[in-house]
Amino acid sequence: MASMGTPAVVMDNGTGLTKLGFAGNDSPSFVFPTAISTLSASSSKSSGNNAKSTGSFLSSKRGLEDLDFFIGNEALAAANGPNYNLSYPIRHGQIENWDHMERFWESSIFKYLRCEPEDHYFLLTEPPLNPPENRESVAEIMFESFNCAGLYIAVQAVLALAASWTSSKVSDRSLTGTVIDSGDGVTHVIPVAEGYVIGGAIKNIPLAGRDITLFIQSFLRDRGELDTSLQTAEKIKQQFCYVCPDIVKEFNKFDQYPQEKFAQYMVEYADKNRSKTVVDVGYERFLAPEIFFNPEICSSDFLTPLPTVVDQVIQASPIDVRKKLYKNIVLSGGSTMFKDFDRRLQRDLKTLVKERIELSERLSGGVKSSGVDVQVISHSRQRNAVWFGGSLLAQTSEFKSYSYTKQQYDEEGPNLVRNFSLFK
Amino acid sequence: MLQIEQTNLLIQTTLTDKIFPEKDAKGYKSIDRIISDFDFTTYHISTLGEEKHLLLISIYLKCWDDLESYGVVKYLQDKYVQFEEALTILPSGDVENNYNYSFVLDLAKLEGQSDEYKQSVIDSLALLKRNCMAAPLEKAFARYDELAQQYANSNTYAEEIQAELQSEKVLVINYRGIDESIYIKPSFDRVTVIFSTIFQDETDKIFGKVFLQEFVDARKRSVQTAPQVLYSHKEPPLDIAHVVKSNNNTDADNKGYITFVLFPRHLVRGDKRENCITHIQVFRNYFHYHIKCSKAYMHSRMRFRVKEFLKILNRAKPENIDNDGSRIENRKTASGRRFAQ
Amino acid sequence: MSQSLKPYLTAVRSSLTAAICLEDFSSQIVERHNRPEIEVDNTHTPELILNPMIIARNENEKILIEPSINSVRVSIKIKQADEIEQILVHKFTRFLTSRAENFFILRRVPIKGYDISFLITNFHTEQMLKDKLVDFIIEFMEDVDKEISEMKLFLNARARVIAEAYLTPFD
Repeated sequence: MASMGTPAVVMDNGTGLTKLGFAGNDSPSFVFPTAISTLSASSSKSSGNNAKSTGSFLSSKRGLEDLDFFIGNEALAAANGPNYNLSYPIRHGQIENWDHMERFWESSIFKYLRCEPEDHYFLLTEPPLNPPENRESVAEIMFESFNCAGLYIAVQAVLALAASWTSSKVSDRSLTGTVIDSGDGVTHVIPVAEGYVIGGAIKNIPLAGRDITLFIQSFLRDRGELDTSLQTAEKIKQQFCYVCPDIVKEFNKFDQYPQEKFAQYMVEYADKNRSKTVVDVGYERFLAPEIFFNPEICSSDFLTPLPTVVDQVIQASPIDVRKKLYKNIVLSGGSTMFKDFDRRLQRDLKTLVKERIELSERLSGGVKSSGVDVQVISHSRQRNAVWFGGSLLAQTSEFKSYSYTKQQYDEEGPNLVRNFSLFK
Repeated sequence: MLQIEQTNLLIQTTLTDKIFPEKDAKGYKSIDRIISDFDFTTYHISTLGEEKHLLLISIYLKCWDDLESYGVVKYLQDKYVQFEEALTILPSGDVENNYNYSFVLDLAKLEGQSDEYKQSVIDSLALLKRNCMAAPLEKAFARYDELAQQYANSNTYAEEIQAELQSEKVLVINYRGIDESIYIKPSFDRVTVIFSTIFQDETDKIFGKVFLQEFVDARKRSVQTAPQVLYSHKEPPLDIAHVVKSNNNTDADNKGYITFVLFPRHLVRGDKRENCITHIQVFRNYFHYHIKCSKAYMHSRMRFRVKEFLKILNRAKPENIDNDGSRIENRKTASGRRFAQ
Repeated sequence: MSQSLKPYLTAVRSSLTAAICLEDFSSQIVERHNRPEIEVDNTHTPELILNPMIIARNENEKILIEPSINSVRVSIKIKQADEIEQILVHKFTRFLTSRAENFFILRRVPIKGYDISFLITNFHTEQMLKDKLVDFIIEFMEDVDKEISEMKLFLNARARVIAEAYLTPFD
């Protein structure tokens, strides 16, 4: 590895979490909230008046306010104090506050990754339908402020597709498929054909990880458990939840074999003097992830189940790629990690497709359809699929030739990055 | 962040996860991870095949050959021998391919040790790069000790002694390839450390000049006890003129030389000397980091200014014309009434 | 504000006000086109171009106004006393021109010998108030100078703090 030069840096800045790391690794080196806490205006003013009282070393030195900030988990901690304001520079996947984002990267690169950007190539990610102006601004920052050696900006959904190549189910390494990306805030269903996102067909579902956690919390509260904190609900979600084939049967199973199905979660506290609390875990084990398939049990304004949305998205895409889109449905993001999520989605989707084929066969009077293959692909890198896909692509030998270098940028200017060639 | 720390945060967190695992974790998990550091340094932490309690930690440094000639192997041996119960230094024949130096850390043996011991293993491994780079500095400082003793009672202004000192060997470390190097020259009353650095673009060059001028002036103005700093552009200082390799490929125009003259007060044995070694190494990273930070700050200023200009320009638009220039009809008042046409 | 700045800006203001007297004018060469006459080769229709003028405060600070029947081009040379100001002006104007679409009247490439150019056409004056456009250019000239010198001050101050912060821990 070392003889190939320095590893490329892969940065996936999402709305909620940022994943940082080096190409060639199988997991990101750092995963922390995309949050930055900066000196609040009021405290920097007061520090001008009586510099000693604020206690912060940096703010006591005039003119260094822009270096006094924290990112990630440290930002959350600092925001509890009086002097700092917390903000999230990325909203709905897109960068909103460029000043904060630039400083977020500054700290990511120098403090966390410890690399000299002049020596490394960078792979950054962007959401589908990101305006080209935003790309230009990213390039402006990466090349002008940081002098990074080379830059490639990839669409998140395409990287998620690339990550699925590790699954044994994938036979050909194509960049055509439907990506279901479910993180903390929103779930996206994105069709991709030959590496290009089909923008018009994208659909969003306002249900994701956070809603599941809140749903579990409401169960705990209803039962009056001793600990109903969000953290506990989060842990229960991660450790106990799964997707069942049929809710009614699953309820029966719970009644028949309560010892096997009901579980208990021990809440441990950082404070060792506090005794452990035991929280019962019941029907929410399978009901919580069920909100993807029967949204009405949790939400009152969004009622379309996930399989139907996927079906609609593929039907809205050009007819010549639909078969491929059905055949390669790829999961990405933490909220798709539930056990048997892929099987249930595949089964429900198959049912939908079958119904439509039968209808059309009946209407056309006996002409047989050649059938549509539906396949949902689940793999072990699903949680950080986007980052992992980036890591895979950035370690290939072609990566450097696809990236733009600082020299090219200096010659041609920011509109260079409007087009990137695709990985084949 | 004002200072750049020498501790590698990622090594620290990786090893902490391994050495202080969460309570419910069972057994040892395998790991294979590349970690990078400044100046083309790469680490590789991996488990040894099926023996998952054995961690192989390797480092690659661009300037290893230089360091080796200044006794880095011996230096590291001395530094890490204190952890020999758990940490084995691999002989040079067994070093991982493509890397320069390898350790094997035995997690099973570490388990019985106290938490403080574990922590100090982590901390000192996180400083691996610092320790590698320290070897030549240490060597130069030792030579200074010798020279100081040798000339303690002689007339150092005498010509022959001056000539002798002048011919003192210069230690060269091409830590970022041929263009950026560290030169160290010991003497009887000082150690001179010279960095050569390259500026990648025009802005960096000019910003760099402003910064370096302040480094030179800082001593005169406020930090009297600091090392003396000299700066020269293009031309290498006389001390090292004979060892600087002339490389015609790179334009000398972008090259700068920064000289630090360390005085005996900075070289007092013990913590002060260690601190000095740690601190002088990060100079280039620190310097370039701050050039980049100022550029980032300039960007935020300019963004603000652009917003202000746009505000002024938009005042020129009458209110009932939208962005495309078409008249906006049906404007309503707050209570919902329309203006008379 | 120094002694000579005020008369300079006053001169620019009144010249601009006079120059921005534009009307819709169809091209005499290409049918059904309206093009900014100042930007095209006018060897055939010299009558559409008015005399350009340069107002200079000194060698380093001047403004070129090139009026025509339906458009006027204004180019500004911003004060650059030394290397640092040069690079700052370069950076700043580049930053502005890369956002030219928001600025309607900003030209993406400056005229040779100047740092930044504006192109005001009759379409602009139909949609925007002429006096306010002149105000914008005047304020722009004032603020750019201020901004550049503030950035320079910042750079020096930052360099000082950084140097001290590095050198202090040695002792």
